[in-house]
Amino acid sequence: MTVPTGGAAQAAPPTISVEGLSHSFTDPQTRKTVHALDDVNLEILPGDFVTVVGPSGCGKTTLLNILAGFIRPSAGKAFVNGRAIERPGADRGVVFQELAILPWRTVYRNIAHGLEIQGVAKPEIDERVNRMTSLVGLEGFEGHYPHQLSGGMRQRVAVARTWVSDPEIILMDEPFAAVDAMTRLTLQEELNDLTVRTGKTVFFITHSVEEAVFLGDRVMALSARPGRIKEEVHVPVPRAERSWERMSHDEALQDTVEHVLSLVRGEAVEPTGQDG
Amino acid sequence: MVKPASTTTATGKDLGAVRAAQSESPGLFGVAGLSSVIRALLPFVVAILAWWAIWAVLDPPEIILVSPASVFGSFIDSIAEGALPTFIARSLARLGIGTLIAIGLGVPMGWLLGLDEDVAQAAEPIMRFFNAVSGIAWLPAMIIWFGFTETTIQAVIVYTMLFPVAFNAMIGVRTIPKRYRDACRTMGAGTLRIIRDVYMPGSFPSVMTGLRLGIGFGWRALIAGEFVVGTTAGGGLGFFIFDARTQGVIGKVMAGMIVLGVLWLLMDRLILRPIEETINVKWGAVSA
Repeated sequence: MTVPTGGAAQAAPPTISVEGLSHSFTDPQTRKTVHALDDVNLEILPGDFVTVVGPSGCGKTTLLNILAGFIRPSAGKAFVNGRAIERPGADRGVVFQELAILPWRTVYRNIAHGLEIQGVAKPEIDERVNRMTSLVGLEGFEGHYPHQLSGGMRQRVAVARTWVSDPEIILMDEPFAAVDAMTRLTLQEELNDLTVRTGKTVFFITHSVEEAVFLGDRVMALSARPGRIKEEVHVPVPRAERSWERMSHDEALQDTVEHVLSLVRGEAVEPTGQDG
Repeated sequence: MVKPASTTTATGKDLGAVRAAQSESPGLFGVAGLSSVIRALLPFVVAILAWWAIWAVLDPPEIILVSPASVFGSFIDSIAEGALPTFIARSLARLGIGTLIAIGLGVPMGWLLGLDEDVAQAAEPIMRFFNAVSGIAWLPAMIIWFGFTETTIQAVIVYTMLFPVAFNAMIGVRTIPKRYRDACRTMGAGTLRIIRDVYMPGSFPSVMTGLRLGIGFGWRALIAGEFVVGTTAGGGLGFFIFDARTQGVIGKVMAGMIVLGVLWLLMDRLILRPIEETINVKWGAVSA
């Protein structure tokens, strides 16, 4: 295990556990049955950063939607702290693939939204939002509306909004797919920094092998649809020591990328249906 | 909380830059250098000159067409004798009341229909149907039910405004991306909270579109209603125009028509446009 604190942490129960999860649904367009996931098993311990990588349409997003509580699996079970997941809840924050911050709310009010919903008192909201904006570099933009920000800044708002409510686990669905390559590198480093500092448990979906290795303690390589876990790969370098600089010359990290690539490569993608 | 530079100035600057870029090209008629007010007034001046020229050249009998100066004279007379201001006030009051009722009924109706995808789909054809049967087409039926009364005029305006408002409120709710709702659910929001924080503000630009359409249709329906029912229902601008026709005073008819157009321009500039510009700043990403 990659949890560095030893005995006590090793014994901690998993925050999320998934047992024999399979999911099929009928594609609304083609009316064909799509087998999205097949017998997926995984455990996420407190403080873990687990990345899932796989070809488009391999059921990654389906898996995240099950953990978030948006859909019920056809077979198998998913648990948060031993309780079966039945609906979305504030214990699981989600950063969506497509931007889901509200366009008519300012940066400040977007970040404060979750706290407002939870009925947190105004002064505390103020304090927590301010701390969060400085943590993700949004100071001075509190009064801006999302359409007045760059793509990278908007993603920071999305991340900050989820983080500020302090959910037990954060589910992220390719959050940086839509930003430009340079900004993405910065955001990935910032996210790494943020998770190391806050010790958050994160479940992160991506189709980029490099991103999966760069961010994760463990990388789950998924097969093409129906998605099943081909291999769980431990990333050798502690997250606190990672940077893109190091990624470019560290042999252990390079080897890990090569290995995950070899797992994912050649996984043919079914041409039908939506991204799963 | 740190208050950053006002957002409106940022957008204002962008618009200014766009305008500046546009005015660099001289344009065919060289009007680019003029201020926007003068540019907007210029076509009116041209229209009045053309009208005056036609009148001067054709020299028509006074029952057919009179000069701009004569119409202006009728306008001043009508104001002096007090009829025109009273009728304008009455028409605007009717439109205002109609607007309030249409918002009060139409917006909640649209929201409720929009909340459920299946209900919205089922409701759409009949909403389109009632949208297409214009308010004026209801006038004969309304007169049978309510007589030549204020109620008839008001009912026609409310009907005319209600469907564009309700329909657009419904569309507004339906077109809000589902992920906004999902995101709020993951933050622990219940249905009421989602209605308040997502559906209501998210549909606002669309509601405004409906309102704008509704007020435009309502204004026309109002004038038509006053043509027919105004005599017994206490006048109005439509009555003023129609009554001038029965008196055979073309100058008054035209003065009334011009007031009609000017009032619409004023409502548009002073009420509707400012609201829409505020929306564009706040909801920029929605309407973009």
